[in-house]
Amino acid sequence: MVNPLIGPLGWGIFLGFFIIFVFLGFYGARWRRGDLSQLHEWALAGRRLGTFLVWFLVGADLYTAYTFIAVPSGVFASGALYFFAVPYVATTFAVAAVTMPVLWRWSRLRNYVTAADFVQERFNSRLLAGFVAATGIVAGFPYIALQIIGMQAVLTVMLLGIVKNVKLVSDIALTIAFIILAAFTYTSGLRGATLTAVFKDALVFLGVIAILVAAPIAIPGAFSTAFKAATLAASTTKGLLVSGVDFLKPPFYLAYTTLWVGSALALYLYPHAVNGALSSESDKKLALSTALLPIYGIALALLAMYGILIYGDTTAMKILSLFPPAARGSLVIPMLAVTTLPEWLAALALLGVFVGGLVPAAIMAMAQANLLVRNIIKPLNPRITPQGETRAAKWASVIFKFLALGFVFIVPATYAIWLQLLGGIIITQTLPSVFLGLVTDRLDKYSLMVGWAVGLGLGIYLFVTPHIPAAMSPLYPIAGHLVYIAVIALAVNLLIVLVGTGIAMAIRRGASVSVSK
Amino acid sequence: MATETTRRGVATWRKVIAGILFAIPWIFYLIPTYNTAQPTLGGVPFFYWFQTLWLLISSILFIIAVLLLYPGKR
Repeated sequence: MVNPLIGPLGWGIFLGFFIIFVFLGFYGARWRRGDLSQLHEWALAGRRLGTFLVWFLVGADLYTAYTFIAVPSGVFASGALYFFAVPYVATTFAVAAVTMPVLWRWSRLRNYVTAADFVQERFNSRLLAGFVAATGIVAGFPYIALQIIGMQAVLTVMLLGIVKNVKLVSDIALTIAFIILAAFTYTSGLRGATLTAVFKDALVFLGVIAILVAAPIAIPGAFSTAFKAATLAASTTKGLLVSGVDFLKPPFYLAYTTLWVGSALALYLYPHAVNGALSSESDKKLALSTALLPIYGIALALLAMYGILIYGDTTAMKILSLFPPAARGSLVIPMLAVTTLPEWLAALALLGVFVGGLVPAAIMAMAQANLLVRNIIKPLNPRITPQGETRAAKWASVIFKFLALGFVFIVPATYAIWLQLLGGIIITQTLPSVFLGLVTDRLDKYSLMVGWAVGLGLGIYLFVTPHIPAAMSPLYPIAGHLVYIAVIALAVNLLIVLVGTGIAMAIRRGASVSVSK
Repeated sequence: MATETTRRGVATWRKVIAGILFAIPWIFYLIPTYNTAQPTLGGVPFFYWFQTLWLLISSILFIIAVLLLYPGKR
């Protein structure tokens, strides 16, 4: 067994600040008081958040364990390819700044809470709305699961050398954390999530900047050393950092581009992103805070580079070598925090990653619950009261959280990450109904359904079928170049929607001509 | 139902310029001029630091675009 990385001081600070986090979560119910038995009060914080609160909330909501764990892990293992996350977050907010204020205006006018609410009225189809809602709910699960995996990585580093059975103790700790989380989202709704989001963002920025400042002290030569060490590692270990260290190797260019384009188009189709956007007080404030969100991405870019920086940190690399190669990536950021920072600062950075998983998990489960209640339960049971709706959503958000937790306990981490990638592919197939729906109401609803179904089927088929580079890879070779499957499936989906709408228009015109004769 | 969203009377030139500003980062990242190691900044290859710098540039472009689209509104 190795020596503990975090001692009593670190644990004390971690737990002490976690208690502040919990307090903020519960205090949310009293903050800017509203009637929390109304769904828009509970789930959208009464649509009263200004530019900066929306910035903190949506920032905390979108920069998740994916940012702190999956991206650095990808750069650490595969190299430059995973830096696609940077163009992704630079461009996704252009999409959002154009689409979300329009959706916000509709929602304010018609009291929508979800994107599927909009689709239902826009295309006069509960079935299409149900499909959009179900896609959002399904895609949400592996995203929550990914948050939990990030939190596990923190606990693994903190418990190392302290307890024998790290897995068991971290599972118990996660369960306790989720019970607390479920309790405060039940009582405070999005208000609790907003206050904890500000707290989370502060800790994350502190951690990212602290590592940046401390790295040259802990690692002589910092990035220069690290990039040289990574190049050396890539040349000696087969399959490591295959996409390039200093820059992207040419065969990966199309993969890089389609990954960021596909991800940028998909982000604001996720229910938790829409949920955050609709909580804004006005369309201008929403647009402004969205325009400011790429700045939050600078933290993401630094974290991604830390996936290379760790190669220069001999202490961290030595401890990582105790773990199986597949498990090392997700430990990159927690490990760098403990090896480069003084203990008290490391504890705060670790708490940042830990609550960085909790806050988005809360918002994701709430957004899933809204979809379930508004677009699946309500159409089946139209007599549900507004209070009954909210009660159902509160309980559904609790159940969804524990389903995701159970999922992580049962399914190995690798599968959870695969399913998260698959979630990205399927959520993209709702783009025509939601984003094109914001532009025009002339699309044919049956074509939208067929396009969605074919896109979904094709995406899943390409993902699971054995192919190069591997089955369960989100990339698929087309004419010798790797392409992100979400983009392939979306192209087919869009083609069906446009051709189908054209045919439907022609038939309708033909019918009206024959009637007028 | 379709008239509500188009009711905001924003001048066309504002929409066009805002559209161009929103599109600039897309165009920048689509053309891989950033795919090289030199010059480095603090030991970090050009590929990494230049794309990161463009996060800041993107934000500035988007803020100008939003201010153009919502003149005088709160």
